[in-house]
Amino acid sequence: MANSVASRLVPALVVIGAVTVITPVIGASPFWLDNSVLVAVFALLALSAGMAYGQAGILSIAPAAFGALGAYATAILTARYELSPFIGLVAALLLPMLLAYPMARAITRLSPLPLSIATILLSLVLELAIREGGDFTGGYIGISGIPSLWFADSLFSMHVLGWGLVVVVLVLYANLTDSSIGRAVKTAKHDPLRATADGVNVPALLAVYFAISASVAGLAGWFYAHHLSYMGPDSMTMHVSIRILLMAVIGGASTFLGPVLGATFLTLITLYLPAAETQGMIFGAVLILVLIVTPNGVLGTDWKRMFRPRGAQADAARRRTVEARGGAA
Amino acid sequence: MFELSEYLIRGALLGVTYGLLAFPVSLLFSTTGSVDVALGAYAVLAAAIMYVIGGPLGVAAAVGAAVLASAAVGVISMRLNRPGHVDHVIAVLGTFGLATFIESFILTIFGTSPMIRQPFSVFWDLGGIRVSPQMGINVTVCVTILAALFIVLKKTPFGRAMRASAINPVGAALNGIPVKQIWFSTYVIGGLLAGIAGVLILFTTGADYSTAFNLTIWGFGSAIIFGLNSPLRGFAGGIVIGVIQAFSAGYLPGGWATATPLLFIFAILSVGRMNQIAATGGRV
Repeated sequence: MANSVASRLVPALVVIGAVTVITPVIGASPFWLDNSVLVAVFALLALSAGMAYGQAGILSIAPAAFGALGAYATAILTARYELSPFIGLVAALLLPMLLAYPMARAITRLSPLPLSIATILLSLVLELAIREGGDFTGGYIGISGIPSLWFADSLFSMHVLGWGLVVVVLVLYANLTDSSIGRAVKTAKHDPLRATADGVNVPALLAVYFAISASVAGLAGWFYAHHLSYMGPDSMTMHVSIRILLMAVIGGASTFLGPVLGATFLTLITLYLPAAETQGMIFGAVLILVLIVTPNGVLGTDWKRMFRPRGAQADAARRRTVEARGGAA
Repeated sequence: MFELSEYLIRGALLGVTYGLLAFPVSLLFSTTGSVDVALGAYAVLAAAIMYVIGGPLGVAAAVGAAVLASAAVGVISMRLNRPGHVDHVIAVLGTFGLATFIESFILTIFGTSPMIRQPFSVFWDLGGIRVSPQMGINVTVCVTILAALFIVLKKTPFGRAMRASAINPVGAALNGIPVKQIWFSTYVIGGLLAGIAGVLILFTTGADYSTAFNLTIWGFGSAIIFGLNSPLRGFAGGIVIGVIQAFSAGYLPGGWATATPLLFIFAILSVGRMNQIAATGGRV
């Protein structure tokens, strides 16, 4: 039991350790603090994509759409109606969930391929709704003047808050995955018929899980809106969703730290890439390369096994089979 | 009433091109069980190349580029998915990668400007409705291609091998059918059709770098309306999508006009036959 609790805390402890080491180095540089906040935002979004794809097998092309929903919810409540950012936070967590759940009840009954197309549709419709929302969403102009958070009014405190949110999400995510719900989701992903036979209501379970992942994206949107103090229709489009998915896949969508690693790598490498138009070519090529070389991502790949000579691989497989049968090697 | 028939005719004529995009969606799904998200990107790539080069050489270069791009996707998908070792979601992710690559390539080389050509200045009068002769060309090209593909699928050994690979890949392979090559050629046929559709779209509604995913959605939506496993029904689905688009544009305000066809496809997805696949864990 103690081991299980410790292993659930490992991903969060790794992030805390990394941030503790990096903070004194970047603490005096507004440029790097700003980028660190952005990395935290994308880490939250990539964790949302990792939950949906890595754990539940739902290839969602809508994490940015849910993020935009959370961002617009807090932007409208705080900038238009001058309500507290905490009310904005509640709306940013609940609204994506309330939209994702009924949608997921309709689409999680589908096989994985049309499911991903359905999330593209959702993404396109939400983008349209934001653009055509008139004064309510700010239309093509967007909403500016979103207040900064009174308890984190400097770049440094936003950096700490951002990574604090990543740590909280990682702890909750690891606990959820290790729970009976998490195990049922894994079974439903690999064999829905088996999960159904075990008494799991697969569509309902996957819908709840998808809604939770949408809520994490909404949290990222809330934080992003209060960091930038502006939200426009181009801030979180479907192309951002594809990039977020790429982050999760590169790092390892089914692992806890993979999406965080992918978000860090891609956000930082973007700083050194040429013009924005050409970035899609690089991201597309990297996605294909990663899928061919390490389909499970950097942290999801058994590198030792990959580089083991073929003969040794066969021996190891034989040994595992014998051990599994309870015989002697 | 006149307005209604005008939207109906315009929509049906527009939908013919979507039918051409729906065919490869159905063909690929029924043969490999996968979806090529880059289909719209091939069409836009072809439109962009035709826009720059023009003439018969432009047509050849445009369709050739689309075929090359689809061949690249075919190679990638074969690498990610082999008969007997299939993960469709990974293959779809791969096609997302290439779609993103092509879209960015078009943006870098051809820029953001819309690409459209209007070759005809004189229009036909169909009972008071002005129709461009280009629509006649579109219908002729699409119907001819679909008829040819129907004959290939139903009457030739290649078509039979394709259908056998779709129904039972392992059994087909045991009977000496080169299933991998059949899968690859299905991707290439998809590229060929998308390339032709792209050229027609350039002369009809036009395109820009950002329309790639929308075209994929229209092709996919057309394919699912009457059942994804029948490529020819996709053609009828294309006409339905075109008509819905025309009616939405005619009777609904701005945003709703664009959103309604998308919501219609979503509704079809939610209640359609594809749901039965998941209910049995993908075992039928």
